[in-house]
Amino acid sequence: MRLVAAELVESRQILPGQWIQAFHAPDLAIGSRAGQFVHVRTGDYSGLVLRRPFSINTADVASGIVSIHFRTVGRGTEWLTHLRAGDRLDVLGPLGRPFEVDSRSRHLLLVAGGLGIAGVRMLVDEALRDGRQVVVLFGAATAREVYPSSLLPDEVEYVVATDDGSLGHRGFVTDLVPAYEAWADQAFACGPQPMLATLSRLAAGRRERLGVAKLGRKRGAGRQDPPGSPAARRKSFLQVALEQNMGCAVGACLGCVVMGAGGQPQRVCREGPVFASDEIAWEARW
Amino acid sequence: MKAKKKVVTSGRAGARPASPARTSRTPTVRRVKSAIVAARPVARAAGSPGDGSSGAVTGGGGSSSTIVPVATPELDRAAAAVDLTVDLAPDHGGLRLENPILVASGTFGYGIEYGEVVDVERLGAICCKGTTLRPRIGNPPPRVTETPGGMLNSIGLQNPGVDAVIERYAPLWREWRVPVIVNVAGESIADYVEVARRLDGVPGVAGIELNISCPNVGKGGLQFAIDAEAAGAVTKAVRRTTDLPLLVKLSPNVADVRPIARAVAAAGADALTAINTLSGIAVSRDRTRPLLGNVFGGLSGPAIKPVALRVVYEVAQVVDIPVVAIGGIVELGDVLDFLAVGAVAVQVGTAIFADPTLPVRLTGELAAECARRGLDSYRPLVGTALPGRPGAPSSKGVEYRP
Repeated sequence: MRLVAAELVESRQILPGQWIQAFHAPDLAIGSRAGQFVHVRTGDYSGLVLRRPFSINTADVASGIVSIHFRTVGRGTEWLTHLRAGDRLDVLGPLGRPFEVDSRSRHLLLVAGGLGIAGVRMLVDEALRDGRQVVVLFGAATAREVYPSSLLPDEVEYVVATDDGSLGHRGFVTDLVPAYEAWADQAFACGPQPMLATLSRLAAGRRERLGVAKLGRKRGAGRQDPPGSPAARRKSFLQVALEQNMGCAVGACLGCVVMGAGGQPQRVCREGPVFASDEIAWEARW
Repeated sequence: MKAKKKVVTSGRAGARPASPARTSRTPTVRRVKSAIVAARPVARAAGSPGDGSSGAVTGGGGSSSTIVPVATPELDRAAAAVDLTVDLAPDHGGLRLENPILVASGTFGYGIEYGEVVDVERLGAICCKGTTLRPRIGNPPPRVTETPGGMLNSIGLQNPGVDAVIERYAPLWREWRVPVIVNVAGESIADYVEVARRLDGVPGVAGIELNISCPNVGKGGLQFAIDAEAAGAVTKAVRRTTDLPLLVKLSPNVADVRPIARAVAAAGADALTAINTLSGIAVSRDRTRPLLGNVFGGLSGPAIKPVALRVVYEVAQVVDIPVVAIGGIVELGDVLDFLAVGAVAVQVGTAIFADPTLPVRLTGELAAECARRGLDSYRPLVGTALPGRPGAPSSKGVEYRP
């Protein structure tokens, strides 16, 4: 975790109301992993008192470029779109815990709902770098909101679902998942809460359904990793990156919690934003 | 004159790694931070060294309204010599702070969360997250949302309980030079007393801040803060239990805060903290329900500063114990405002989320401001805007009562 001054290198609108901004921030790029996020201070100090959390969309160590992908939803993100190349932003990061990929996983299934693509985009790069095969399932309301395939590497299989059928499968992106269930060694998802809850239901019982060998059976036989530990997450089939209103983003204010399966609130900023799907109480009662 | 100022200013932003606002006794500033400072628009120089004017740049907003005196080696030396210490509990063993800038309960966790970007040892004191007798899971999310010039929170006193706090964090606090004040909340006088009893004598616990004003839980103790008799009773009960320095945090959600302040002071509190958050709500984006999971939240941030100023102004005139001000501090000008209306120390809260390094920076800026005015202590800045005693201002009919 560092406080850095990130210089805007490039800003472009990739879809109506959706932007990708690239910053020169070598200190950030070097320690960042897929799933982590940055907390960005907007320049309008008078009225906006909170930073804005963004998934790290891409991070390139060689060039020191870190990018974020966001939708303009309010004054903070609106302000960001008015930045020009050369402007500097006060950025806190990298924050949170990353996706954990088992070293033996060959096939990764990435599921993104809308802007959730920003949460898993960096994992595409990491997985390809490590020689894994990647399928990205993407869901949006209409074709107008579909993430451009030109922004993904060629090696990726990219499958789209739209609610109105204007592009790809007509229906939810979760409808596509069963076809890949057997192929995938691990799945990673980011998107709206209902989508993640559905994926979690689909993932439950997968092992029994498919009769697949348990990952880590040889090395980890009989060993129980504590829930939430990197090792436990690495062994889970589905990991999800969550979103929540955030205050401090370092675990101090307890503003961004979700209910954990163990009945204890989990901080999205500190224990998350990535969780194994079985760590979350999807139908939480408080 | 102008040219000279300019040269000095650019020298500060570029060549010298440390900004003039920092005193020379606080030399270990992280490089990353100075990079950010340098990246911001250069602050307007406020007054020349000898002009003796207040130099406060008001209005305008933005970071440039921060008071940054022109740097000279003499002023740096003078700033380093400025006495910023304050004792918040002279009657109970003392709660001596190295400087009057504290971090507010709930915004700084247990002091460890920001450790990677803030040198916590340079804070005046840390008020930890509200602590209750038994663990609490808090309120359902969403718990925070931004509002114009502020934010609403309804954490609902999520905490692991006093025993876990003592076990997990006190050993750490013990190693720190910075005092840690444990913020205590409860549902009944017995709760408060029991928590205080368990904290009493624990190494690493420098004091207690009684949170009798949490607006976010059904039984968060707010009933104590709105009634002078109850506030006095809970203070007295805790006072009997422990000799730890005892601060009591007042709520602004009352008709008249002065009788409550008097009762708390009379019951033996060492200092008062004013103010806690104001009760408020926000509406969801689709306008089908209130936004926060708990419906009600506490408003904090610059939006509440005028209210906090008013409460401190009123309270400081009716009690003789120290008043610690809190509410919307984002720059040195705010600190000076609160000192002027009678506070001897301040807490920074919401602003930490945007700028974690602010509290430490304010300490340096306060010292520099004192040096610039030729003061060897910040004490002369306290109470300058209060009317001469006696004669409370409210009796003259210049107050607003919602």
